[in-house]
Amino acid sequence: MTHKTKASILALLPAAALGAGLLSAPAHAQDGVIRIGITLRMVVENGLKYGQLAKDELEGVNAAGGVNGKKIEVILLDDECKPDKGIANVNRFIHQHKVHLVLGSTCSSVSLPMVDVTAKEEVPQIVPHSTNANITKKGSAWVFRTSVSERFYAAIHAKYLSEKVGKKVAYLYTTDGAAIGFAKDYMAFMRRTYQTEPLYEAQMQETDLDFRSHLLKIKSLNPEVLAIGGQLDAIARITQQALEVGIPAKVRRVAASAASNAPVPELAGDAVVGLTFAAAFSCKDERPVAQQFVKMVQEKYKVRCPDHDFSQAYETAQLLKLALKNAKLELTEASLKADRAAIRDALANIQNYSGLASGPINFCADPTPQCRDGNRTGILVEYTKGGKDYDMNVLARVSFEPDFGL
Amino acid sequence: MRADFANDSGPPAGQSAGAAKLNALHPTLPWILAWLLLLPIPFCLTNAYTQFVVNVICINIILAVGLNIVKGFAGQVTVGHIALAAVGAYTSAVVSTKAGIPFWGALPLAMLLTAFAGAIVGIPSFRLEGAYLALATLGLAESVRIVISGTEWLGAAIGYEGIPPPYLGSFALADHRSYYYVVMPLALVGLYFSFSILRSDVGRAFKAVREDPLAAAANGVNVRKYKLIAFVLSALYAGCAGSLQAHMAPGFLHPNSYTITEMVTLLLMVVFGGIGHIWGGVIGAIIVTIVDDLTRDYYQYRMAMFGAVIVLTVMFMPRGVGGLIDDFLRRRRFASIRQKRAELAATTAPEET
Repeated sequence: MTHKTKASILALLPAAALGAGLLSAPAHAQDGVIRIGITLRMVVENGLKYGQLAKDELEGVNAAGGVNGKKIEVILLDDECKPDKGIANVNRFIHQHKVHLVLGSTCSSVSLPMVDVTAKEEVPQIVPHSTNANITKKGSAWVFRTSVSERFYAAIHAKYLSEKVGKKVAYLYTTDGAAIGFAKDYMAFMRRTYQTEPLYEAQMQETDLDFRSHLLKIKSLNPEVLAIGGQLDAIARITQQALEVGIPAKVRRVAASAASNAPVPELAGDAVVGLTFAAAFSCKDERPVAQQFVKMVQEKYKVRCPDHDFSQAYETAQLLKLALKNAKLELTEASLKADRAAIRDALANIQNYSGLASGPINFCADPTPQCRDGNRTGILVEYTKGGKDYDMNVLARVSFEPDFGL
Repeated sequence: MRADFANDSGPPAGQSAGAAKLNALHPTLPWILAWLLLLPIPFCLTNAYTQFVVNVICINIILAVGLNIVKGFAGQVTVGHIALAAVGAYTSAVVSTKAGIPFWGALPLAMLLTAFAGAIVGIPSFRLEGAYLALATLGLAESVRIVISGTEWLGAAIGYEGIPPPYLGSFALADHRSYYYVVMPLALVGLYFSFSILRSDVGRAFKAVREDPLAAAANGVNVRKYKLIAFVLSALYAGCAGSLQAHMAPGFLHPNSYTITEMVTLLLMVVFGGIGHIWGGVIGAIIVTIVDDLTRDYYQYRMAMFGAVIVLTVMFMPRGVGGLIDDFLRRRRFASIRQKRAELAATTAPEET
């Protein structure tokens, strides 16, 4: 065999080895085990830790004998915040791993098509992080959400800031689903409630780095509030550049919930002081249950101040354990369909669950947002210090009626 | 990079003597036989997820074979192919949801509009070559994604929902198994036309343009015209693949599925398979799709594993799998010639007395 032939075989080896995996028969779903598929955006700041926390919490019960004596097996995949990857993951969970339940995803644009797949295949899905209101408006009987819907978040910002600061709002947001949702819902609330039009509105690309031209225009218009929609890096940049172009500190900065992620205060430094955002949880929550959780995350995952994506991943895992405990499961190949329905019904029966969320979590059987947006309490948080040792302060805690914003 | 086309003028590489005989009876006969052989695949697969992956492979074959026309046959360095797929996907989605045109009407409409977009992408190739053309097409590709991201009636960054599946009468081809019977025949038809193009006058003109545009022009080949035809034909394939992506369950499109990462993955299919080698493109699409899928289990190391395949391919197999097949066939042919010569020499050698 020549050197070139050997080298060619070497080049083909990784592909051939991996290809063989698909052609080989998949591992048969083991009877007597509860299988849960988790798909999240993993390869981002703390993304791996959100997924690992949910996995650890669910599989942690195995050491104590499982749920009603049944072991839990978690399959964890990354969807990269791309819908096609999320759709592939959920199809793999359902058809190859024969999961009893799907947990995901982080991004609304991934959770939205996943809802269609889980509804068609009749598999319960619980959404831990996505906020887009349409996720629960699709009428799927199989979807539940533990994150706070943006229909509530928008009102928290808009009502508080309109009453305490002012109604002259300039909007600057990027082209990602959460950012658009944040800005549009804020604008809609202002129009509906106060008949106020935006002072300025501009949409930027997610990958844009320089927002100064828009910020200079905004400065000349003398707004009372600067609303910033984007992922964490965009929020940090806009916050810092707003200070650089001379927008005075009295102009209140308000941002989408991604502002709760640690890199925002770390990247923006002291420019973040005064930045306000709505979230589901703050590490400054003084309740014992919250402080116990913060301590656990600090010790186990080495994160000083866990954000609401940590708390929601944890909360989702706790709700699932509760539902699995209450569901009558046979866990055989033949009972898969009935087991999935039993888990869905057990989730729908969860009422007044008290955990890390600032209010109770309630689900019910109707496939409507009123029943399936379980967490209806948000908090408004303000950064009081930037940099590595950032700090924050909870300004308000607001609970809504189930049909608010519909 | 020049590809070896030793097998392009004759039967397709790897085609057996039996297939050559079938081909002699009627050119479409081997393809009909291939279609018949591929029909029972859904019943041999272990689960619906594997079927889903097979469907994605079929769509990627159409994309890779289409890209091979402009890149492999005509030698034009384009990185805008994924944007053309986006044009096809969103056109098909819009005409089927807003105008109520069923898939069977939306597919040709999407292909036509994408062909028009392909002509626009091809215009810079009149004056640009190599890296400069790549940059121009990259710019156009990114523009398409950015326009979609910012256009509300295209779903913007939230995504375009509710795209219906194809229907046969009142029967919806919505599940993965039935959708296979839409994507598989189209992939075969795409392959058939790719071979037909390559063996036609147009295909020979493409190769002339690729090898030396000046020499081609001196021999009466209208270089601009054939460059534009290559882009348009390639865009027809991209439009078809895009439309198939749009109508595959759950009928959801998002601009994030058409980024530079997807374009690099598509280029890898063609490079891994062998630029200019049609069967190589097919093999590349199959292997890269499977690797892409399986490495998802190892998400921490996924990009490193994927990168390793690219680096090893470029280092040790620059002509791709197609190049290996070419080498194998050439060696076999030479061995056969040597054997025949030896036999001839043995029979004609004067007998010693």
